[in-house]
Amino acid sequence: MKNKFGVLFVALMLTFVLSACGKGSEEVEDLLKENKTEETKDGLKVAISVDPDGLDPHRTTASSTFVITNNIYDTLVKVTEDGEIVPSLASSYEQSEDGKTLTFHLRDDVKFHDGTKFTAKDVAYSFERIRDDLGPRKDNYQYITEVNVIDDYTIDFKAEAPSASFISDFAYPWAAIVKDGSGDDLKKSPVGTGPYRLVNWTPQDNIVLEGVEHYNKGAIKNVEFKIMPDSTAQVTSFKKGDIDLIETTGDVVETLGDAKIIEIDNNSVQLMAMNLENEHLKDEKLRQAINMAVDKEELINAVWWGYGKEIGSHYPPVLKGYVDTTNTYPYDVDKAKQLVKELGREGITLNMKLPTDYPNYVAAGQIIAEKLEAIGIHVKIETIEWGTWLTDVYGNRDYDLTVVGHTGRIDGYDLLEKYGSTRSDNYFNYKNAEVDNLLSSIKVELDDDTRMDMYKRVQTILAEEVPAVYIQAPTRIYAINEDLEGFTSYPIDVFELKDLKFKE
Amino acid sequence: MKEIIRRIVSSIVLIIVVSFITFFMLMMIPGDAVEISLGTEATPERVRELRAALGMDAPWYTQYLSWLTHAITGDFGVSFTYGETVTSLLTSRLPVTLSLMVMAIIIAVLALTIGVFAALKQNKTFDIIARTLMQIGDAMPQFWIALIFLVYISAQFDVFPISGFTPFTESVYGGFMSLLLPALVLAFGMIATLIRIVRSSMLHSLKQDYMLMTRVSGMNPVVAIIKYPLRDALIAPLTVIGIQIAGLISGVIVVESIFSLPGVGRLLFSAVLKRDLFLILGLVSFIVTSVIIITLITDILYILLNKRMRREES
Repeated sequence: MKNKFGVLFVALMLTFVLSACGKGSEEVEDLLKENKTEETKDGLKVAISVDPDGLDPHRTTASSTFVITNNIYDTLVKVTEDGEIVPSLASSYEQSEDGKTLTFHLRDDVKFHDGTKFTAKDVAYSFERIRDDLGPRKDNYQYITEVNVIDDYTIDFKAEAPSASFISDFAYPWAAIVKDGSGDDLKKSPVGTGPYRLVNWTPQDNIVLEGVEHYNKGAIKNVEFKIMPDSTAQVTSFKKGDIDLIETTGDVVETLGDAKIIEIDNNSVQLMAMNLENEHLKDEKLRQAINMAVDKEELINAVWWGYGKEIGSHYPPVLKGYVDTTNTYPYDVDKAKQLVKELGREGITLNMKLPTDYPNYVAAGQIIAEKLEAIGIHVKIETIEWGTWLTDVYGNRDYDLTVVGHTGRIDGYDLLEKYGSTRSDNYFNYKNAEVDNLLSSIKVELDDDTRMDMYKRVQTILAEEVPAVYIQAPTRIYAINEDLEGFTSYPIDVFELKDLKFKE
Repeated sequence: MKEIIRRIVSSIVLIIVVSFITFFMLMMIPGDAVEISLGTEATPERVRELRAALGMDAPWYTQYLSWLTHAITGDFGVSFTYGETVTSLLTSRLPVTLSLMVMAIIIAVLALTIGVFAALKQNKTFDIIARTLMQIGDAMPQFWIALIFLVYISAQFDVFPISGFTPFTESVYGGFMSLLLPALVLAFGMIATLIRIVRSSMLHSLKQDYMLMTRVSGMNPVVAIIKYPLRDALIAPLTVIGIQIAGLISGVIVVESIFSLPGVGRLLFSAVLKRDLFLILGLVSFIVTSVIIITLITDILYILLNKRMRREES
């Protein structure tokens, strides 16, 4: 008897499977049709590869978080396409004569998503959070000594010394304004004033946002971020029309045919850092030889399919105050080889640590290693996980060479400051008295032109002394639905959903 | 009965030991949630202050004991990354992974019939084709099959979604379709081994003397095959299935990532990358518990099916 039931079960299962395969197609097509007409009207689907690291802008440094939160929260000021700072939650602002005080006049017509009115108290609360022990960016805001609420719509920030990059610190997505007292629920239930509010976040599945009414009329109402870890899946969905916007890579662009591609020059910097405490690498001449051994153009072509801007110093071309230093030590293998020989450093071995989580950095490292072999330097490659990288390389500075990227900033000072000899994030172990002096003068120099000259000077010194082989400022590539209009790029790593519209 | 109690007690000890080892290893490997979340902003002072603020500066054994005492009362803590309780993260992911695994197992079991037929038609065309397919199936890595399915099936046919999971409560058909391809990929990993085992144990049984007896007694050959050798042949794959279900977990991580399914495997994977301590501990303890339960069930089934073992025990 038992066996008969077994056979029956198998037969039943088979019928189930077969019928399911057969009958569905019509129904599904109908469903798809319905969905499609609905979607193209007011639903935008964006693919992202990882979950945000919580939706609390004050508790993380992950750009995966800011891509989302930037649409949920506002900042006091904003940066435009051209890098200009314009008012946002503040209707205006002024910096005192001595440069030490920044006063914001706030808009009085803004409400949080839960209906409460936005006032200066929320600003004070937000900056209290940004600057407390749990805030990862605490150090960047330590120079602010006092935050004074003058009245409901006026607030003062006082700095210990005049600071020229003062205002730009209020434009970053991590300086977002959250509701007073909203505290620790923000990771999963954010309350902001931004153009979109969170409807639902199912970790590893999707994040659904909804446009807030009477905010920027005409923007897309429903937005879904689909979390798709596999890039093939993202591209396939995009081609099929299930997804309207993906971030992609150079190799994929060709396969996308005539899809609408948007390239954005990013303000981050990718480089091969060198540890100047190493007995060989402390020799400036050797570092110059290493720089000459690397054909950056070839490297960018090989690893990033040519999407990237070659750089010669720790500064992206899109940023104000950039000076072209790419030709300081141009590619010349023979000269490099000879230099290594002259220095008597032929046959030395250097240890290169590469973060496996970033396959591009690993690939770039491998190519550079090959180039160095060609000039007589052996490279021992060790690939390590990102967490290990942070401890070993960034924390303990236990490495000789590594390839990594640095997040972009609005003001060049924030990029260059890590070359200060006493900085704890100076993992190059770079020390230069002139750079130290320049960095401290930049901080207090309020005249824009003089400051820009100082930025240029620091870039030139770095290009000459080569604490790192500066590779490129990457280009971000987005493939978007051809009916989608208004995509705008910003000097910080975000895009604004409210800029986007579907063609009528 | 005594045996069962003994096993349950040893299982509980095992779970605690595993959670301890997991915790210890997470403490030993470089990088923690604080460093990861700070990224290249991680200056030593910042790391120290943030750890202190999160209570992560306590000695590791105090941290472990406090986790354990909470875990025993059913409180597995809050995920550092998601800000949600581990329990709710797990329970919301579970339906996806369970449905996926159940479907994969059903497919694998259905595929057993191939092994049975291959044995009956030994060295005939069917057998040769089946064996070739097994070889190929064994040789192909799962992530590759998954990508092939994605590009050549999901992309071409609208019935199969490229990503995501439709809950069965929303649409039985949609849920089924969203899991069919991933389940097939997952099943591929087990099918080849299973078919081979069924085939060889079936061949072995067919050569037994009792087969001659059924022929002599004039029994219907189909009935005879179902009644004796098939029954015999199913014992071996059953044990293997038990082990393979445990092995499915690693396949689940791959398949869930490629098909963007919000399941337990992917949750574990991302938790490890972000060093989300409580989440990892919660998930590992859960998986270990499930594996132990599955092994227990397999053992019981094994005893039920294998009369010889039952006799030996009594």
